[in-house]
Amino acid sequence: MFGYTFQWKQALARLPQMLDGALVTMQIAILSMVIGIVLAVLLTVFRRSGSRILGAIATTWVEVARNTPALFQIYMAHFGLASFGIHLSPYVSLLVGITFNNAGYLAENFRGALKAIPETQTRAGRSLGMSPLQAFRYIVMPQMLRIAFLPMTNQMVWAVLMTSLGVTVGMNTDLFGVTQALNALTFRTFELFAIAAVIFYLIVKVIQTAARLIAWRLFRY
Amino acid sequence: MKTSIFGAALVAATAIAGAAQADKLDDIIASGTLRCAVVLDFPPMGMRDDQNNPIGFDVDYCNDLAAALGVTAEIVETPFPERIPALMAGRVDVGVASTSDTLERAKTVGMSVPYYAFENAVVAREGVEMTNWEGMKGKTVGATAGTYEAIWLEGKVKEWGEGEFRPYQTQADVFLALSQGQLDATVSTVEVANANVKSGNFPGIRVVDKAPMVPDYVALFTLREEYGLINYLNLFVNQQVRTGRYAELYTKWVGEGEPADLTVNGVYR
Repeated sequence: MFGYTFQWKQALARLPQMLDGALVTMQIAILSMVIGIVLAVLLTVFRRSGSRILGAIATTWVEVARNTPALFQIYMAHFGLASFGIHLSPYVSLLVGITFNNAGYLAENFRGALKAIPETQTRAGRSLGMSPLQAFRYIVMPQMLRIAFLPMTNQMVWAVLMTSLGVTVGMNTDLFGVTQALNALTFRTFELFAIAAVIFYLIVKVIQTAARLIAWRLFRY
Repeated sequence: MKTSIFGAALVAATAIAGAAQADKLDDIIASGTLRCAVVLDFPPMGMRDDQNNPIGFDVDYCNDLAAALGVTAEIVETPFPERIPALMAGRVDVGVASTSDTLERAKTVGMSVPYYAFENAVVAREGVEMTNWEGMKGKTVGATAGTYEAIWLEGKVKEWGEGEFRPYQTQADVFLALSQGQLDATVSTVEVANANVKSGNFPGIRVVDKAPMVPDYVALFTLREEYGLINYLNLFVNQQVRTGRYAELYTKWVGEGEPADLTVNGVYR
């Protein structure tokens, strides 16, 4: 049997600390998404540019980001780069790791979205005198972001959940890190992690609801 | 006929009542296996040999305990943060995992009397100017998450109000970070510090000073309400010291010299 008496009061007393951690988690997730989207658009442009070198860079990035564990990517950002003398703090390592992962997945989402936009639209734009970049910027990209919007929300949710991997590189200010530290102090494992799970759930729910509202406002035809 | 049914019912009832009263100690003896939570990333207390077998002070201690109980020992590897979940989820019976017996933790699990005591050392990277432990002030320091020294060090960094504290999940990650320059200094047990400096696995680190904290007494732990087992563990620790096995294990795993005194002057228990 489960030989344990739950003591919620003792764990709930730590709730303010955990909510502070939740803010850090949100901050990392949002930053990693914003930077990740910019990088993903760049990677998409690289892949369409026709340049062999740029294409190779983009393909390698996407392949590594999608086919290796996020844990590995974060670990490499911290310990891997350090062996080359580049020292990133746990916060930056985690941010870099998640951003790298986000960019890879989002680039693939964008590629899928691009497939859904007929090539003839670009040609129509070009025939109106737009440069290739202008045609991409004004005709293709807005549609691409619209089609890829829901997969992007998915990735945002992933980013939030991936912050929990930060503990492996010494992160102790995000939600999971705070929970882990409190656990070491009090051994109230089950209560603390149950609370953390609820907070994670609520964060994700808020993101999904917000995304639905934004989509409803932005994408009405 | 009636009497035999009554008799059978009586036997069954006694058996059920007997089973309900059986405690953890009975369960262990009955099952023939003692499952110990041991941290295998904490040399020389717990580690793995070339063939990947668990070895170390804590492993031997668990084997001794199993031998005393007349059962076979099963070593369950648990990283520091996972010792308590493993116990609560019923994956292990006792923890032989260098667990500091803090009052905060004793609210959650049952601790035996101390079976070992660590002193802690400050280890710094070569090139970081540090002559004693106070040199850690304002530096980036770290330790293994969930350990006594990590809790102490984090408290110190907060008290100083400068510098940064980083907890890593394993002892190996702490020393890797130190050796790579992610950390300026760490606090670890003297045993671990010496073993790691000597091993040469982590180049460019040195022992600076002893850390000025109360010796880190570590206890065996099990479920809080298992008095029968806790009683047995207390007697077992006493016997280990009394028979000289404690000193023997110390020489075998830590080195020459006297193991730490497990009594505290001027107070009972």
